[in-house]
Amino acid sequence: MTLTVGNLDVRYGGVHAVRDLSFTVAPGEIVGLIGPNGAGKSSTLHAIMGLAPASGSVRLGDRELLGLRPEDVARSGIALVPEGRRIYAELTVEENLRLGLAARRSRAAADLDPVYELFPVVRDFRARQAGALSGGQQQQLAIARALVAEPDVLLLDEPSLGLAPSIVDVVFAALDAIKERGLAVLLVEQRAQRTVAAANRSHVLANGALHLTLGPGDADDTEKLVAAYLS
Amino acid sequence: MSDTGRGAHMRRLDELVAPVVLVVAAALLGSLASISNQTYFTDTLVKVSIVVALYVFIGNSGVLSFGHISFVALGAWTAGVLTVPPSEKPAIMPNLAEFLLHRHVGNVTSLVLAAVVGGIAAFVVGIPLMRLSGLAAGIATFAVLEITYNLLQYEERIGPGLNAFSSVPETTGLRQAAIGAVVCIVVAFVYARSRFGRLLRATREDDAAARAVGASVYRQRLIGFTVSGVLAGLAGGLYVHLLPVNVNSVHLDLTFLTLAMLVVGGSGSLLGAVVGTLAVSAIDSWLAVAENGTSVFGLNLDLPAGTAEIVVGVLMAAILILRPSGLTGGRELRLRGRIAWRGSASRAPA
Amino acid sequence: MSVLAILNIDWQTLADGLALGAIYALMAVGIGLVFGVLRLVNFAYGQLVMAGAFALALASQWGWPLWAGIVLCFAVVLALSVAMDHLVFRPLRGHSPAVMLVATFAVAFLLQSIALLWFGSLGKIASSLAFLNRPWTISDVDIRKITIVAVIVAVLCLLLLHLLLERTEVGLHMRAASMDFATSRMLGVRANRVISFAVLISGALAAVVAVMLTVQTPLVTPDFALRDTIVVLAGVVVGGLNRPIPATLGGFSIGFATGVLGGALPTNQSQYLPTFVFVAVILVLLVRPRGLFDFSRSVERV
Repeated sequence: MTLTVGNLDVRYGGVHAVRDLSFTVAPGEIVGLIGPNGAGKSSTLHAIMGLAPASGSVRLGDRELLGLRPEDVARSGIALVPEGRRIYAELTVEENLRLGLAARRSRAAADLDPVYELFPVVRDFRARQAGALSGGQQQQLAIARALVAEPDVLLLDEPSLGLAPSIVDVVFAALDAIKERGLAVLLVEQRAQRTVAAANRSHVLANGALHLTLGPGDADDTEKLVAAYLS
Repeated sequence: MSDTGRGAHMRRLDELVAPVVLVVAAALLGSLASISNQTYFTDTLVKVSIVVALYVFIGNSGVLSFGHISFVALGAWTAGVLTVPPSEKPAIMPNLAEFLLHRHVGNVTSLVLAAVVGGIAAFVVGIPLMRLSGLAAGIATFAVLEITYNLLQYEERIGPGLNAFSSVPETTGLRQAAIGAVVCIVVAFVYARSRFGRLLRATREDDAAARAVGASVYRQRLIGFTVSGVLAGLAGGLYVHLLPVNVNSVHLDLTFLTLAMLVVGGSGSLLGAVVGTLAVSAIDSWLAVAENGTSVFGLNLDLPAGTAEIVVGVLMAAILILRPSGLTGGRELRLRGRIAWRGSASRAPA
Repeated sequence: MSVLAILNIDWQTLADGLALGAIYALMAVGIGLVFGVLRLVNFAYGQLVMAGAFALALASQWGWPLWAGIVLCFAVVLALSVAMDHLVFRPLRGHSPAVMLVATFAVAFLLQSIALLWFGSLGKIASSLAFLNRPWTISDVDIRKITIVAVIVAVLCLLLLHLLLERTEVGLHMRAASMDFATSRMLGVRANRVISFAVLISGALAAVVAVMLTVQTPLVTPDFALRDTIVVLAGVVVGGLNRPIPATLGGFSIGFATGVLGGALPTNQSQYLPTFVFVAVILVLLVRPRGLFDFSRSVERV
């Protein structure tokens, strides 16, 4: 199902974080949201998830999600991999995964194999305390945890933050595979170039508003990228 | 609107008017009441002093304190021990320490000493405790209350222990209670307007920003806590000269009642402290009278004993849930040709 | 044996300490569970125990059989817990912890006043389980049955709770919610369900405590368990408010210490016990706010 964001407006008290934002993410697509700090990228994800006060419209297929509680948004088929990963350090890897099952819509027994296939490290460290994993492994766990809910839409908030380049490769490869499986992926990132190269299209946000949209072909056009960020 | 210059000074003095007028009005009303009912009014005015003391710290710092009644208790003990006639001392305080046995001071001196003791105690307690905020502060100050209660219960060298403070000259009449309340209000006002008060309030709103401009959160809280201890001690001195006080009358019940008064009135403002006390007292006293049987518009009302506390409790819980900033919304009242509200609605203590 | 004799502790005192520790451990869990999911210290927890005790007293006054009294006790306490949750806890969610503390303080007072109104200050007697107050004689030593029963019941409850938290889905959700509430919701954990669960379990524990306390103290007054709640709160803070195991250990330790010292020390020394306890609370809050028994690396919340 397609995620349709229409005229999204997010305000925190006096701060207007997101202004009249509209875009779509269809199944099998990766859409990037890039831009400088404070541009409203995270706020957009939070608003979709019901974690931030927002007006406008967020639709999954035909269903309006704006105004629902976070747990109900999750149970509608949207999964968020939050900034900073936010895994439960004191629970085991397996328990972290089981938590992800809370949003699952299907009644059938959960099949974790597809997730293990994408992230073998999660299977290998099943019984370990999540806090003992490295940053890159925790990021993989966070994505795995979101995937076990079998969502239609996957939101990721700066997954490459603080990760070594080799792990970033793993993450982006996984995102490709996830896209192939038919999920709609909305990727918020600060690494403009990789995102623009990997996504079907990338929206550049500045001051809460959509500035311009780049395609994969623009990934090597450094001038264009810099101009987009600085304008 | 400029905040400097003599004009502003006069404007700000306006905010003192409403609380003082309310207190004076209450005192006048009390003077018209029968002798037996006057005690309610006097008691209310003493409570105004206590609640104003609470406001000085809680209202300006935004930090909760469950322990202020300790300072009221210490003030009461100080004033009480020093004004019980030496001939009566052995009767109610048989184990009193030597140096206290023969000391006797006048009424006003006892009040001043009560205030001093309250201030010193607050200072000493504040030194470790003012580092804490939020829940930790609440629990720690509650611990102080319990420690004071425990010590005063059994330490008979400094007071009557479990006995009541009888034989204390009942010098707190309507006039003295009113004067005491006005003194507390003026001190609270001066403090709140002063640099210290303003710095403390800055830490309440946003303590990171306040630190950035050089305000020491710890120091300002300690100052506020001490000032409020002085006022609480004074109130304790007034209290002991009003009724026979015992350890239980300066423990959880009084803590709850005075906190309720502050919360209902609005913890963020001086006016709130006064309004809350008068409002809750009025309800409480009226209900106490109704508990003894009274008639309202021809209907006979005989409420069961204890209704008053329940109503106050419900009121406090309701205000906290529905309107945490209290009746006044944490604002002061200004009179300048026309009546105007000043100040933003503050949140309940953080 | 000679060590005990030197310390002026006999087996009965030791057993009393264990029993009180067990009861306080249950109360600590009840308080800690609600704190975990709501970040709220329920000052009125003791009033739940009081309500349960009054239910037992009423049942015994009406001549009800024992099992009916216990059922009434549970019903009353659970109903009151749910009411507290819906009327007070939920509307206050999101406010500062201090506001919540004051609010539960108000509720505690309110409930105590209602009890005073209803039952008067003289209280009522709950006599149903009095037989547990009589001693078993084990090799020449008298130990009151209730002390052993209390320990067994507490261990059973804690075991059940452990299984619930570790082996079930809802238990996992509760643990996660108390570690990171916002993220749990985002993963689909139903906030309200988890909170209701915690409140119900907390209430059930209060009911168990009510039953056991009325055996030792059959006279139920409006301030029944008030003292105990305050002491348990002190123990929980000293042990560690943020995590369940340190909190339980804190509750147990203070119960055990109070029980043993109360029995071992002569009255004129034990009367200052509260002072020592509360000085310890202040020291812990200043020096090691996460609690004495908390060795985890989790983020402090107090």
